[in-house]
Amino acid sequence: MKALVVGVGGIGCPCAIALARAGVSLRLCDDDVVDASNLHRQILFDESSVGKPKLDEGARALRAMGAEVETFATRFLPHRARELIDGCDVVVEGADNFPTKFLVADACTLAKVPVVHAAAVRMHGTVLAVARGGKPCYRCVFEDLPGEAPTCETAGVLGPMVGVIGALQADLALAFLAGADAGGTFVSYDASRDSLRRTRMHGRGDCALCTGRIDDLDERRYIG
Amino acid sequence: METTVRIPAPLRTLTGGKDEVIAAGATVGELIEDLDKKHPGLKDRLLDDKGVRRFVNIYVGEEDVRFLDGLKTEVRAGDKVSIVPAIAGG
Repeated sequence: MKALVVGVGGIGCPCAIALARAGVSLRLCDDDVVDASNLHRQILFDESSVGKPKLDEGARALRAMGAEVETFATRFLPHRARELIDGCDVVVEGADNFPTKFLVADACTLAKVPVVHAAAVRMHGTVLAVARGGKPCYRCVFEDLPGEAPTCETAGVLGPMVGVIGALQADLALAFLAGADAGGTFVSYDASRDSLRRTRMHGRGDCALCTGRIDDLDERRYIG
Repeated sequence: METTVRIPAPLRTLTGGKDEVIAAGATVGELIEDLDKKHPGLKDRLLDDKGVRRFVNIYVGEEDVRFLDGLKTEVRAGDKVSIVPAIAGG
């Protein structure tokens, strides 16, 4: 079993560890370098990692745990999507921007590979599991790029939040790999109240992706 | 009827930092109108001319109102209403 981890960041680190420890082979893609400000939440790195590629540092740490790891030094881009997804049984995505989230959503549904989306800002996080073929998919729930929304860069994130969200993301990815019917599961966690809500989303009848109106990865669709 | 509405962090600038507020109304639409009177600007962040903004989810209990009756969804005594916006980050 192989999982594509899109982004070795705050959510990608704990998720990758959980998957690796469960015996899942990993394919990592990222083009960023470790910054000192990442260290409170990106737990594959330490002070010696600062200034080095997240991909190399993450792969080194995961291999030290015995994981089988492939690396692709790239962001998830429309022209690389198919290459990155091919051969993977599930995709986990914790991108820090909406264009990438929608691109991964479209690419996975078109490729009929299950994907687990995750995000965390401040003390709030969400996880959405999308089965192969969607219905519901990320667009069923959030439709299209928002004009403006907070991100970690603008709003910050509490370190333990990404650990909780990354673990929930790995749990749903493992559910897919085990053959469970996890599609549509939506988890929302509010750390300020220690409140976790788990619900089941439904497909939206006029979803552009699930109805086939989106049938390619035209890069103009992913401009934030 | 008064209902507790959970406010997500990005909208708490409009509620004086409160993560829960009380609003009156028999439907989700009425609750939002009342919220906007008490906390001006909230309605605009939740709705556009087509209804609930595409990157916002509003729940009554555990159900997204998109899959109930939208803004006409009835709110009953004891229901909790939650607002969950799309977020990106980690």
